[in-house]
Amino acid sequence: MSHKADTIQQRANNSRRSRVDKVMWALCYGGLLTIVVPIVWIIYQVVARALPHISMSVFTTNTIGNGGGLRQAILGTVILLIMVGTMAGVTGVGAGIYISQFAPKRVGGILRGAIEILAGVPSIVAGFVGYITLVIELHWSFSIWAASFVLAAIVVPYIAKTTEISLRGVPLAMRESGQALGLADSLVLRKILLKSASPGIVTGLILALAISVGETAPLLYTAGWSTTNPTFSLSHSPVGYLTYPIWTFYDYPIKSASYLALESAMILIMLVIGLIVVSHVLRRILSKHLPE
Amino acid sequence: MDSLPRLAVNQAGDTTSVSGLGSVLWWRRAWVKIGGTWTKVSDRATPAVTAIMAVVPFVALILIGVFLFKEAFPAIKVNGVNFLTHSKWSVGSEYANPIKKSGVSIPVGATYGAWPLVLGTLEASVLALIVAVPVSILSALVVVEKLSSRVSHWVGACLEILVGIPSVIYGLWGALTLGPFLSHHLGWVASHVPNVPILRFFRGPTYNGEGLLTAGVVLGIMIIPIVASTSRDLMRQVPQSLKDGGRALGMTDSEIALKIVWPWVKSGVVGATFLGLGRALGETMAVLMTSGAVLGTTAHSIFSNMNTIAATIVSQLDSAQTDGTGFAVRSLAELGCLLILITLVCNVGAKLLLRRFGTTTVAGATIAANE
Amino acid sequence: MDISTRAKLKDRPSGPQGALSDLVASDSKAVSVKKITGKFKSKTIIQGIDLDIADGSITAIVGPSGCGKSTFLRSINRMNDRIPGWSLEGEISVFGQDIYGPDTDLLSLRRRVGMVFQRPNPFPMSIEENISCGIKAHHLAPRSHIKEIVRARLEEVGLWKAVSGRLKESPFQLSGGQQQLLCLARALAVQPEILLLDEPTSSLDPISTQQVEELLREFVPELTIVIVTHNLAQAKRVADSVAFFMNGTLVEFGTATEIFEDPRFPETKRYISGSFG
Repeated sequence: MSHKADTIQQRANNSRRSRVDKVMWALCYGGLLTIVVPIVWIIYQVVARALPHISMSVFTTNTIGNGGGLRQAILGTVILLIMVGTMAGVTGVGAGIYISQFAPKRVGGILRGAIEILAGVPSIVAGFVGYITLVIELHWSFSIWAASFVLAAIVVPYIAKTTEISLRGVPLAMRESGQALGLADSLVLRKILLKSASPGIVTGLILALAISVGETAPLLYTAGWSTTNPTFSLSHSPVGYLTYPIWTFYDYPIKSASYLALESAMILIMLVIGLIVVSHVLRRILSKHLPE
Repeated sequence: MDSLPRLAVNQAGDTTSVSGLGSVLWWRRAWVKIGGTWTKVSDRATPAVTAIMAVVPFVALILIGVFLFKEAFPAIKVNGVNFLTHSKWSVGSEYANPIKKSGVSIPVGATYGAWPLVLGTLEASVLALIVAVPVSILSALVVVEKLSSRVSHWVGACLEILVGIPSVIYGLWGALTLGPFLSHHLGWVASHVPNVPILRFFRGPTYNGEGLLTAGVVLGIMIIPIVASTSRDLMRQVPQSLKDGGRALGMTDSEIALKIVWPWVKSGVVGATFLGLGRALGETMAVLMTSGAVLGTTAHSIFSNMNTIAATIVSQLDSAQTDGTGFAVRSLAELGCLLILITLVCNVGAKLLLRRFGTTTVAGATIAANE
Repeated sequence: MDISTRAKLKDRPSGPQGALSDLVASDSKAVSVKKITGKFKSKTIIQGIDLDIADGSITAIVGPSGCGKSTFLRSINRMNDRIPGWSLEGEISVFGQDIYGPDTDLLSLRRRVGMVFQRPNPFPMSIEENISCGIKAHHLAPRSHIKEIVRARLEEVGLWKAVSGRLKESPFQLSGGQQQLLCLARALAVQPEILLLDEPTSSLDPISTQQVEELLREFVPELTIVIVTHNLAQAKRVADSVAFFMNGTLVEFGTATEIFEDPRFPETKRYISGSFG
């Protein structure tokens, strides 16, 4: 049998195929661009409008009417973050541990299903229920408590889910060799399982914080709004937070108000990007002794 | 080495080591009691304590469901089927004495029809999918098939930023930048589209850009990370051996993508789409700020103002409180029930379609420890 | 056996007197298995196994895959306990103590009966901590001694030279063979009396395999070793006695010479000569 060269038709066909190939990958890179452009655009339009007016007084003075600074809102956001991080963090990690390690099959399935449905509950619905139950029925009125409970309910599924996924990803062999060494279960859990899963858990925690920082709708009817610094009373005392001025003041015809909206937006964007950077750095540190 | 209490194995019969071992045993005895009982306590306690925590989300879900339904029940009874088919949303008269209807007291003239909201929610979400799904699939493909791990790591970070940007900031961007931009650049097209069925939907005044199109595009960008990261994870599961097999047959990369990768992930990508849809349906602030939030009418064109269920709940809760009978709040609760139901269907669909894949993304953030 | 007797006197945690009586009672048996039958749900995995493993010896367990040899091995340190649906009848004693009895402390059993797995599986911590964590957990030595013990164990397995400079680093950058040696050192660090090895070299290259085999020979008779292997040549090289399993039952048990030179049962003969497996 002699060696057969491509016929002319085959060659034409091949060059058509490689053209199609190029067009398709060009489209794919176009898709990638469609992801990057909005990010740059959103960040740019906020920063470009806010930066010329922003000054230190934003951080040092409280909001006065529809002007002034944002100190109390920043403080309020930080307090809510700490509350939600603790409440949802402890519950979510615990839930993830239980479902992945101890739960009987059927119970685990039910709890996992509940967590997935809870993750799908729109945040405004959670906020609405928080309003009619915590704020009205329990007479907590607008408060840190009401807001934290609602936010925690919104983000706890993310933490539980990430913890569960990361723990399930730890190879069985690693756990078994811990047991074979006679290490107590709690020690295996702490030193081997949680440690292996820690990058994933941290990602979940920080994702949850980023989501709670950016929530608006559920907070409008649970945290209220305040132009004074947050107090130590957890109920009966409305609290300021950074998303409120954006929603309330963005279309105000008064300059000071719209600046307030833009400045909040800028601080929020910085906060979110900061959280993402922290999560990546932590993930890298925590994976130090992990398999590739 | 001699001072060290020698342990086990290779020092058999060495008399000096016996005394050394004695000291080791002393340590062991001293610690086993304390350490032993402590260990047992924590071994027993961990499952119990974590079980309590695992029940919390379950209970939270039940409470949300029960309280929402309890609040909504009288409204469901009174509004009946009209709630889904009628368009008029009116709190009724504040001043006239309330009347009784089906045993529930409601203000005179109160009617609640959510049809435009249901339609608006679906329209905006479908538009969002039209924007998000192609972009997500294409970029997932390029990330998996073409980019180095370093670059795809950065793309992953971009997706995380898209997830992290708060909904109100999307709204702000949509209202102040994207809306006017679209209105400015599409205004001419919108007024020159022929006035014939179907195409008519793309014809009309664009105003300042608030409306269905802007809301849909913004929603679409918001759900890209969910659809894209899930699709990317699915595509990573396609065995390299299959792709190598295709390559060995002389297939081009795009043929491999279409004939090997795509069939493998197809049903999962549909699942990812449902996940994105579930998110889009419940999105509130961004829609509220970009849609024009008009009550009572359906969109005539892609540029008209519109409204969604979620946006209505938040925008109407304030005025609903002027209703002394509380019926307006109950009707909003009914809206909430409706919204939960629709998103539930979506998420269950997504779950079923994604079941055989086992993905590692949660809301667009990659969790797998080995990434 | 006299060397191992002395080793036992020294290592037995219950003190010399108890140790002596144990020894007499158990007649130098490290592991004594009486009529055990193990089931997963209703499926019988191992059936009617009767086997005594001599103290200070290396016993190889061979047989075709799926014959229950790994399951049997995992019964000796009760690793199967956690598998839902698993049940075991019969009695296994380790140095005369019924390990499924009510007063067995699972953690101390697992310390005394160490195990090394098929694939190297270092813990997600530094090389040093991999070895020290077991010592610390069982409070086997004062904190100040741990560094030296880590070094001693690493030297024992011949890994010290390779890792001495990077004790604080991740174990996952070591080669597969080195990782397995680390796992071996980790198991030795808690002073086991019996070491169970579940195909420890099946994922290693020939040189690392040889290294592990040579080490095993050095560990006896101070340590009793039970090794599951699918590699008959390996069994021949390292084992004092060999148990041949098939379809969940113990077909034949004897010294290595007996099994390899003069097997009594036709199944053994066929398996040894490579006709099935």
